[in-house]
Amino acid sequence: MSSPKKNEKQTVIQDVLEKPSSRRSFLKGASIAMAAGSAALATGCMATGDTTTSEEMKLRWQEYFKKHYRLMTAEEKKETVKRLERLAKIQNDLDVQIGTDPPIENVLYGYAFNISRCEGFMECVAACVKENNLDRKTNTQYIRIFEMEPGKLDPSTGDGQFYHKVPVENKFYMGVQCFHCENAPCIKACPTKATWREPDGIVVVDYNWCIGCRYCQAACPYFGRRFNWSQGEVPKEELTTKQHYLGNRRRPKGKMEKCTFCIQRTRKGRLPACVEACPTGSRVFGNLLDPESEIRFVLEHKKVFRMKENIGTEPKFWYFID
Amino acid sequence: MKKQIIPFAIPGLSLLLMLLLTSFALANEKSFLDTIKKTVKPFDARSVKKVRPVTRKTVLALEEYRGGSFRVLARKQEIKRYKCSNCHGEKPVLVKQGFELTHGNVIINHGRAGNELSCIDCHSEDDRDFLEDKKGRKIDFDHSYKLCGQCHFRQKRDWLGGAHGKRVSNWAGERVIYNCASCHNPHSPRFSKRFPATYSVPLN
Repeated sequence: MSSPKKNEKQTVIQDVLEKPSSRRSFLKGASIAMAAGSAALATGCMATGDTTTSEEMKLRWQEYFKKHYRLMTAEEKKETVKRLERLAKIQNDLDVQIGTDPPIENVLYGYAFNISRCEGFMECVAACVKENNLDRKTNTQYIRIFEMEPGKLDPSTGDGQFYHKVPVENKFYMGVQCFHCENAPCIKACPTKATWREPDGIVVVDYNWCIGCRYCQAACPYFGRRFNWSQGEVPKEELTTKQHYLGNRRRPKGKMEKCTFCIQRTRKGRLPACVEACPTGSRVFGNLLDPESEIRFVLEHKKVFRMKENIGTEPKFWYFID
Repeated sequence: MKKQIIPFAIPGLSLLLMLLLTSFALANEKSFLDTIKKTVKPFDARSVKKVRPVTRKTVLALEEYRGGSFRVLARKQEIKRYKCSNCHGEKPVLVKQGFELTHGNVIINHGRAGNELSCIDCHSEDDRDFLEDKKGRKIDFDHSYKLCGQCHFRQKRDWLGGAHGKRVSNWAGERVIYNCASCHNPHSPRFSKRFPATYSVPLN
């Protein structure tokens, strides 16, 4: 009974050993063969034959040895997405759909924030937490709203932790999040090239390639990056199942994460969750390469400024005044 | 004589060259903003696939913006007891009756303090199914921006361009935007004070 299985195992190992391969692919192949072998052992011992554990083990091994997102072929992207979806099903009984939508041609995303219109209702923050499956245990938030004294424009002078009835007279509110810089210091600081700028301007993180060194967090002049302290905990009924590989999918523990302009939405033509949720319409989002877009109207007709413009990071996030 | 001129000319020339080179270098060091400003060809937002269709009822706006026609959220079906002519018919409605029956909840907080607007500043006196601007033109409830814009013309200009208000769910696809009354209560247009939806935790 065990002989065909043993033969199969042997051929897998032989294949791995005989095929010309790199160190990485050899390790991957060898480990999968080992996993398969141990699974065969396990099924041999256990009468019931718990197949899910061996499947999970195999998937996790394959996940561990996958490539950097930018080096993956379309086929490999499809495979990893399939694995992740299957793992979500096995581990948490969740039906998620992970997309790998590429950037849309002739699109460069830009964002504008109306500081004279924002009233500090923080609906954007709540929507962001929900949309991006942020960890509820450590209370991670990508957006911060500062209550500011008139005349001040540096958020560090404002109150970032207010909780009282808003708006307060003679105060204004300023939102801060990842600004998706053109010359992003975080990208330069990353030692593993786990973060990069996509052609549509979104600065993304390959969560599997990040080693959690937090250099990017130190390099960011806008405090736009967050460290993932623990395995994210999201109530099952609140989980956003429409995900993107570079966006709101389940993030491994100990990695960096950040605002991605809701890549899972914006690459499908939708608005980011914060823009959609804003009750006062202070947030404007659109394509900078479209002269008819709303964001271009703001840039052309409003008094705009960017934060710390002198340091040359060229953020794609403008503040404007009515 | 000529030999004397050349040593003088060389520093001058090199200075000129240096200036030229630096100016070229500066010109080459372009910001992405220059590329943006140079794009004049509009992006065909309708070409984006997978745009989620807007399920709420919309109407074609009577005005245009830079990209041509657009749609606004319809308003009429959200007004309770529309049509108004069901009550405001031939028979006059007494103020007392009206207060008890229908509009007791309406608190007018629109206009300068001490000089608040009254009902017929916006509603048509003869035909209650319509709004009416200061020139006596009847305005449909779905196109309230025509009425609001006569005082709030700056906001209307921004709204048309996209700096005030917002789109419904998509940045791509057909432009569908919120109507004035989708966000503002026309009787009390300021947003009322309330507690924030969530709170911020300390970052460190």
